[in-house]
Amino acid sequence: MPMLLEAEHVRKTYRLGRHDVPVLKGASMAVAEGEWVSIVGSSGSGKSTLLHLLGGLDRPDADSGPITFAGEDLRRFGAARQNRYRNHDIGFVFQFYHLLPELTVLENAMLPALVGVWLPQWLRRKHELRARATELLEVCGLGHRLGHRPSELSGGERQRVAIARALINRPRVLLADEPTGNLDIHTGGGILDLLAERHAAGLTMVMVTHDAAVAARAQRQVRIVDGCVA
Amino acid sequence: MYASQLSNRYLTSRIIPFIAVAAVGLCVALVIIVVSVMSGFLEMVKVSGKSLTGDVVVSRPITGIPAYAELIREIEALPEAEAASPVVETFGLLRMPYGSGDGGKQVEMVEVWGIEPESLDRVLGYRSKLYWKKPAESELAGIAETDPRRDPFFDREAEGMALRAKDGTDGVVLGIEISPFNRRQRDGSYRTTDPRTGGQSAAYFMANTEDVLLTLVPVSDSGSLSGEKKRRFSIVNEVQSGLYAVDESRVFMPLAAAQEMLLLDPRPVMSRTEFDENGRPKELGTGPARATTIAVRAKPGVDPDTLRDAVERAYVRFYQRVTADPGQLVDPPFPDSVDISTWEQRLANFIGPVEKERELMRTLFSIVYVVCAGLVLAIFWSIVQEKTRDIGILRAVGASRSGVLWIFLRYGLLIGIVGSIVGALLAWAVVDNINAIHDLLGTPAPAWLQVLAWIGVAASLALAVMGMVRASALQAVVWVFITLGLAAVALVLLQHRGFLVWDPSVYYFSRIPSSLDMNTVVTTMIGGVVFSVIGASIPAARAADTDPVKSLRYE
Repeated sequence: MPMLLEAEHVRKTYRLGRHDVPVLKGASMAVAEGEWVSIVGSSGSGKSTLLHLLGGLDRPDADSGPITFAGEDLRRFGAARQNRYRNHDIGFVFQFYHLLPELTVLENAMLPALVGVWLPQWLRRKHELRARATELLEVCGLGHRLGHRPSELSGGERQRVAIARALINRPRVLLADEPTGNLDIHTGGGILDLLAERHAAGLTMVMVTHDAAVAARAQRQVRIVDGCVA
Repeated sequence: MYASQLSNRYLTSRIIPFIAVAAVGLCVALVIIVVSVMSGFLEMVKVSGKSLTGDVVVSRPITGIPAYAELIREIEALPEAEAASPVVETFGLLRMPYGSGDGGKQVEMVEVWGIEPESLDRVLGYRSKLYWKKPAESELAGIAETDPRRDPFFDREAEGMALRAKDGTDGVVLGIEISPFNRRQRDGSYRTTDPRTGGQSAAYFMANTEDVLLTLVPVSDSGSLSGEKKRRFSIVNEVQSGLYAVDESRVFMPLAAAQEMLLLDPRPVMSRTEFDENGRPKELGTGPARATTIAVRAKPGVDPDTLRDAVERAYVRFYQRVTADPGQLVDPPFPDSVDISTWEQRLANFIGPVEKERELMRTLFSIVYVVCAGLVLAIFWSIVQEKTRDIGILRAVGASRSGVLWIFLRYGLLIGIVGSIVGALLAWAVVDNINAIHDLLGTPAPAWLQVLAWIGVAASLALAVMGMVRASALQAVVWVFITLGLAAVALVLLQHRGFLVWDPSVYYFSRIPSSLDMNTVVTTMIGGVVFSVIGASIPAARAADTDPVKSLRYE
C-alpha cells in the first residue's frame, strides 16, 4: 500500500528558558492512503508534537529525518507551499475546537475555503462554497445551526463544526488532536462515529488520543514512548 | 477574503474597537476644531485688516502727495481699480468730554484720518462701520430688544457720512473703544454708561451731544514741528471696525479740516529767489492740496499684487505728466517715489505673528497624532494578546503571515477611517454650533437640567449599590465612577452662573469663527488614518510572528 504521510527518525527539541528539552528523539511512522491511525501515549510523550510536525504547523530540528507527504519532503517547503499544505492537503481538528467566536457556524466552517481567495474569486464561488459548507454541516447534524455563534453551541456541536471546517477543502489527511478529549463519553462517541463515516468515505486520518477506547476505533495504533515510536 | 471578513467582524462585534474609534475620533476632532477656529480667526483678522486699508495703499507721509485728485483720476481709470479715496493720516491728541479724575478732561493719543466719507465708503465700506445707525432689516433679528440702536434717536448715519453735526459744524467719528463708557456686550453691541453714576444711560450718549478738542501738529518737509493746531469738533458718530487696535485709537475727521490743520490745504507758494518791496518772498500763486494716503480698492477678482503693479505704473505716468508742466506750483515738490503697498504688506507685522501662532498651534496639536498612534497601539496590543488563539487557528488553516499581518493592519486602517470620519463629523458639529455652545456655557444651567443631573446621580448610585449587594465588583466599580462623574457634572451645573470663554474684549470679534478649514479637515483625517495604521503595525507584526503551535497548545 502506498504511504501518504511518512515520518522517519523525526527529532524535535523545544527550548524552555535556558534548557533544551528534546520531545521527539527519532520517531518514525507511516500512514497509508485511506488508513486510520491512532497515536497513543502518556501525557508529554510527544504525540501532539508529532501531529503538529505531520501537519506542517511546526518544523522539526535541523538534524531530524524527513517528513514526507505524497513523496514531498515537508522540510523543503517554502512558506507559501507550507501554507497551501495546511490549507488544502491537511485538515486539523483540535481538542478545544478552536472556533473563531466572532464568526457564525457557517462562516467558521467556510474559513479555510476563504484563505487565499480574493474578492473576484469569492464573488464567483461564494454560492458553491456556501453550499458545500452547508452540506458538510448538515452531514454533521448542524443544518439548523448555521447562523449561530460558537458560544451558543454545546461542546459536541462545536467539535462537529470544527470537523466540517477541517473537511471544507477536501483534504487528503485529517489530523485530529484528542478530538473527544473535552467531551463526555456519549458525545465523544458521536464524534467518533462521524469521523468513522468520513474514514469509510475514503479519508485518511491520524488521531492523537490518550484514551485506549478511542484509540481502538482506529485501524492501527502507534504508541509513543519517551519521544520514540515503541 | 477572510482578512476583510474578520477585520469587519472584529470592528463591529466588540467594545474595544469602539474605544479605539472614539480615541481616534476625539484626536481628529480636537485638531480640526482648534486649527479651524485659529484659521477662521486669522481670516477674520485679514478681512478686517483689508477693509481697514484698502487693497492697495499709496502713501507719502508728512508732506503728502500734491494734486492727489489727479492721481486718483489716473488710478480710477485703471481697469484693475474699482475706486480710490484720499486720506490724511496723522496722530493727534483728543481731549474727551469727560474728566480724568483730577477735575480736568481726559486726553487720549489717537490716530487721525482726514477723509472724504463718500469715496472712502466706496473703497473701505466706511458707512457699514458706523455704529450709531438704524439697523438693517436683516440685522434686526440679531439685535437685542433693549439695544438703543432700535430707537430712531440714535440714528446718526447721515451725520457720520457728512462728518458734520446737525448745527452745521464739523464733526468727528470716534473709534467706539476710545470712550471707556461704551461697554461692549457679549453679543458685540455696546451700551453707554454714565461716567458720573456708572449706570446705563442713554442721556450720556456722546454722538452729537458732546464735543472734543483735537490737537494736531503740522510737520514740515524738513521734519520740524510747527505750532500745534487745536479745533473743537462735535462727536457725530462712532465706528466699530472689528479690530480693537483700530477701534481704540482711530478718529475720522473731514479731509479739508485735516488738511487745514496740518498745512496740507491749498497754500501760497512763495518764491525762493524773488522778494517784494518789504523783503519778503514773493507769492507765486497757490499750490494744490495734499493727501498723505490714497486707499485703492481692486475690481472684483483682481489680485492686490496686480493692482499694486498697475498703480505703480499709473503713478509714474502721473509724475511724468505733472513734473513736465512748468506751470505747476508745488512746494515741497512732487515726490519722485511714493510707498505703494498691498494691504498684506501693510499689515504684515500684524498678520505674521497670528499666522505663526496658528502654525505653532497646528504643530503642537499634531502631537495629538502621536497620542492617537499610541492609543491604537495599546488597544491593538491588547487585542492581539487576546486574539492569540485566533491567530493560531488562522495559521493552522493555512493563513500566511502576511495574511495575518493584513488582518490587523486593515483593522487599524478601518479604525483610522471610521475614527477620522467620526472626528470630522464631530468637529463639524462643534464648529458649526460653536457660538451656540459658547452661549450655552455663558448662561446659567436651567433648573430642569440640574434636576435631571441629580436624578442621574441617584439612579447610578442605586445601580452601584445593587452591584455591591449582588457582589458584582465590575458593576459596582463602573457605577461608582459614573455616579462620581454625574455628581461632578451636577455640582458644576449647580455652581454654574455662566462664564465667558471667548471674551470679545480680548479677541474683538463678537462671534467665534465657525467655518471648517477644509485643508485642515483633509490633512487631519489623513493623519488620523496614517497614525492609526502606524499604531496598529507593531501589534500586527507581532500577530504575524505568533507561533501557531504555542497559541493552540493550551486552552
